[in-house]
Amino acid sequence: MLLEVKELTRTFGGLVAVRDVSFGIESGEIVGLIGPNGAGKTTLFNLVTGFLPPTRGDVQFEGRRISGLLPNRVCHRGIGRTFQMVKPFGNMTTLRNAMVGTFFRDPDPRRAKRAAEEILEFLGLARCREALAKNLTIADRKRLEVARALGTQPKLLLLDETMAGLNPTEVADMLGLLREIRTRGTTLFVIEHIMAAIMAISDRILVLHNGGLITQGPPRQVANDQAVIDAYLGERYLIA
Amino acid sequence: MMREREAGERRAAVPAGYFVAFGIIGVLVLLPHVITTPYYLHLLILVLLYVALSSAWNLAGGFAGQLSLGHAGFFGIGAYASTLLFLNFGLSPWIGMVVGVLLAVVAGAAIGYPCFRLRGPFFALATLAFGEVLRVIAISWRDLTQGSNGLSIPFKPGFANMMWQGKEMFFYVVLVYALVAVGIVWKIERSRLGYYLIALKEDDSAARMLGIDTTRCKLYAMLISAALTAVGGVFYAQYVGFIEPYSVFDVNQSIQFALISIIGGLGTVFGPVLGAFIMIPLSEMLRAAFGGAARGFHLVLYGIILMAVVMLLPQGVSQELKDRYKRWSRARQSAISRRKGQADAT
Repeated sequence: MLLEVKELTRTFGGLVAVRDVSFGIESGEIVGLIGPNGAGKTTLFNLVTGFLPPTRGDVQFEGRRISGLLPNRVCHRGIGRTFQMVKPFGNMTTLRNAMVGTFFRDPDPRRAKRAAEEILEFLGLARCREALAKNLTIADRKRLEVARALGTQPKLLLLDETMAGLNPTEVADMLGLLREIRTRGTTLFVIEHIMAAIMAISDRILVLHNGGLITQGPPRQVANDQAVIDAYLGERYLIA
Repeated sequence: MMREREAGERRAAVPAGYFVAFGIIGVLVLLPHVITTPYYLHLLILVLLYVALSSAWNLAGGFAGQLSLGHAGFFGIGAYASTLLFLNFGLSPWIGMVVGVLLAVVAGAAIGYPCFRLRGPFFALATLAFGEVLRVIAISWRDLTQGSNGLSIPFKPGFANMMWQGKEMFFYVVLVYALVAVGIVWKIERSRLGYYLIALKEDDSAARMLGIDTTRCKLYAMLISAALTAVGGVFYAQYVGFIEPYSVFDVNQSIQFALISIIGGLGTVFGPVLGAFIMIPLSEMLRAAFGGAARGFHLVLYGIILMAVVMLLPQGVSQELKDRYKRWSRARQSAISRRKGQADAT
C-alpha cells in the first residue's frame, strides 16, 4: 500500500470537515476523489500533504507515518501536489517556475534547467517558457502547477481540479498527459468535478459527502450507486 | 538553425557581460586618480558603502521578501564590536570585524527565527523594535559604550588599524567591500537559494509543497544579510572615527537601506547599485543646494522626488532600464529585418 489513510478526522470548531475517512491507494493506481462542493475534498488533500494537522487519525506513506509533518517534509517523502487555486510564482518565468521544482532533485542550476525544459516540453509549455507565469492563460497555469510538482519526481501526485476551467480539447490533452505520467511511474490521486474526465481516467473512485466517505469502487459501480446519485450526481450518470 | 543562433548568442553574451563588468571595475579602480577633490572622493566612498549595505539588505528584504527595518541593528553591532575591541583590548578592527559579523549573525538568527512567521508589516515592526532596543541599550549601558557621548577612535594610521592618511585607501577598501557584497548577491541569485527565495516570497505554501524549507531559506538570507551589514558598520566606524548610538543604530539607516533597494529595484542584483548611485549624490546635492535656504527644505524635496520615483517606476529603476533596453533592441531588430526585407525585394 503506497498511501494509507486511517480514520482521519478534522474539525474546525464545531464543523466536522473530514469524518472518519479510511482508504488506501496502491502504487500505480489512478484514484479519483469526487463529491459536492464543501464535501471536504481539498481539506483531505491538505491533511495528506501536511498543510493541516489531523484532529484524529493517521496518514501513512510507504508504511511510515506522515501526518504531522510539514508540507516540505511530506514532499521529501515523495508526495507532490497541485492547488485548486493555482499558485504560480507570478513574477518568475515559466521556465524558472519549473526549475524551482527540479532544483529539488539537483542543486546544479544547469542540470535543473535542463530537467525543467524537458518537463515543459512534455506538458506543452515550451512555447511560453520565457513568459511570466502571471501572464499565462488559466489552462497553461494549471499545466504549470503540474510541471512544478513533477519536477520533484513524486511517487504520488495529488491533483486538485487541474481540469476545471479548461475547454474539452484541453481536458482531453490533460487526460493524455495524466496517463503518460502514470506510465512513467507516478501514482495519481485526483480531485475533479468534470465527470466525463474522472470516469475516463480513474481506476477507482472515492466519493466524499459531508466529510464522510460514502462509497468507493470502480467508476461504473460508483456511477450507479444510489447514495452517490442522491448526494452528488443528481441523476443516473451514463458512461458512453 | 534556431539552436545555432541561440548558441551563438549565448557565446557572445557571456564575454560582453564580463567586459562590461571589468570595464566598470577598471574605471572605479582608476577613479581616485581622476577625482582628487576630497569631497567627491568622500561622496564616492559613501555611495559604495551604501551599494554594499543596500545589497545586503536587499538579500533579506528584496529576494526573501522579509522587509526589515532593523538592519541598523546589525550595522551598529559591527561598529560597536570592532570599536570596543579596539579601544579596550587594542584588537585590530580586522579581527573586530570577524567578531562583529559573528555577533550580527547570532542577532540575525535571534530576531529572524521567531519573526519569520510574522507577515508584512508585523515583521517590519518587530525588526524595527529590534533596532531600537539595541539603540537604547547602547545609550544606557554607559560603562561599556559611554552612552550618548559616543566613542572616538584615536587616529593611528596603518593597515592593522584599518585607518589611512587621506581617503584613497578607504576608497579601495570600500570598493572591495561593495564588489564582494554585489558579487555574493549575484552568485546567490543564480543559485538554487536565489530561486527558492523568490519562490517563497511569491507564494510560501506553493514553495513548501515543492520541498522547500522556507523558514531555513529565509534564515540563510537573513544571516548573510546581517553579516554583510556588520562589515559595513566596522568600515563606517573606522572611516568616520567616531560612533554614537544615534548615528549607527539610527532607524533612518535601516530606512535608507530599504529605500535605496526599493528605488533601484527590489530583488534584483543591480537595483541597490543603481539606487545608491542615484540617491546618495542626490541627497548630498540637495543638501548643498538648499540646505542653507530653509531648514529641512532639502528633505522635503528629497521626499517629493522619492514619491515621484516610487509612483512612476514602481518596479524600480533597474527594471525600467531593462524594459527600455528590451523595447529598444526589439525595435532595432525589427528595423533591421525590415530593411533586409526591402533590400531583398529590390
